[in-house]
Amino acid sequence: MLQLGLNALAEEAVPQAAKPESVASAGPQVPVLRRCELPVPAPRRPVQAWVESLRGYEQERVGLAELHPEVFSTAPRLDILHQVAIWQKNFKRISYAKTKTRAEVQGGGRKPWPQKGSGRSRHGSIRSPIWRGGGIAHGPRGPTSYYYMLPMKVRVRGLKVALTVKLAQDDLHVVDSLELPTSDPQYLTELARYRRWGDSVLLVDLAHENMPQNVIAAVSGLKTFNLIPAVGLNAYSMLKHQTLVLTLQTIAFLEEKLLWHDSRYTPLYPFRLPYRDFP
Amino acid sequence: MAALSVCGVTRRGLTWIVLGAPRRGFWSRFRKEKKPVVAETVEEVKKEPVLVCPPLRSRTYIPPEDLQSRVESCVKEIFGSSVPSNWQDVSLEDGHLKFGLLARLADDLGHAVPNSRLHQMCRVRDVVDFYNVPIYDRSKFDELIASNLPPNLKITWGY
Repeated sequence: MLQLGLNALAEEAVPQAAKPESVASAGPQVPVLRRCELPVPAPRRPVQAWVESLRGYEQERVGLAELHPEVFSTAPRLDILHQVAIWQKNFKRISYAKTKTRAEVQGGGRKPWPQKGSGRSRHGSIRSPIWRGGGIAHGPRGPTSYYYMLPMKVRVRGLKVALTVKLAQDDLHVVDSLELPTSDPQYLTELARYRRWGDSVLLVDLAHENMPQNVIAAVSGLKTFNLIPAVGLNAYSMLKHQTLVLTLQTIAFLEEKLLWHDSRYTPLYPFRLPYRDFP
Repeated sequence: MAALSVCGVTRRGLTWIVLGAPRRGFWSRFRKEKKPVVAETVEEVKKEPVLVCPPLRSRTYIPPEDLQSRVESCVKEIFGSSVPSNWQDVSLEDGHLKFGLLARLADDLGHAVPNSRLHQMCRVRDVVDFYNVPIYDRSKFDELIASNLPPNLKITWGY
């Protein structure tokens, strides 16, 4: 790297011919190897994935990353995945449908005709549910909330199962970082097409602050490519997008957060209240 | 404005009175000369990186006949000369060696081990077994059409 810099300072014509050669013969570059920081239980062995790079079309094998088996290779519990996906869809739902009962419809307090003698059937009010224009007997009543919470461990397991399924079906890609050479959305779409990623790609970075500007600009111009921070990863989005692209920092964050729940004590009070020693 | 211009004209017919409108016309010539110079240098800087997408590769893979010898030569290059005669049983525990071998074979044969099966590659034997399996890009219908069908079975795939 230093030699390239000095050549650039010294001459202008030569490094333009030297740079593509040094980039093309990138064989003896150090591979990016990532080992699991958290301990792996004895009989299980880590799962692995290629570390790719977004800086060039052909940089598909920059390193090898080891992934924790309890997160990326759990039992494929599709029932838990279904529960979590349906929960995500429904717990925010508030249906605002409301109909009027016979008591709320305007009018209908008086008996329309006497009980006996008129020959017509007996009725007590003109707004009963039998009547045209009457109230609805068992209709939707007011804003109804479909809020419910699955246990925290079920939701965590849903995330683990979703990651497992993505890796098992070859839809998970690990990237060293989300840096692009241009902010052109066309570059991202061509890259995804060349590497056969799929129609929709979910890019996950660690935090909102340190996202490279090129990725933000490129993704904001595309509808099927979405960029989220690691905190925003959820099972529904993983199922909605065909491919999932994680950075190495994101993987470390996810492993740490998801594995903590396996060996934690049950809370004495909810976790959202302050704890002195909460990780 | 009209009075002042009349004064200027009456004094000497040649000189301009430098007022609002003629002054702008005088300086705008300089501004028009300066602008195109700046724009050219900026465009030159931006044109340097040119990224061209390479042509799409097909997913078809047919194992070459000299696969065993190719894998053996790659193993000897990566692991050095200290390779025992049973080179198929060499373990791929070490990350550097595994990455080196698998990346070399992928570049050589144009077909890489997918992420879901990387953890199954524990020994060189597993890698050889993986690369012995051919992969076709055709759909099931194309395979059926290409295979030997009885004469009373016709497949029309007109989509």
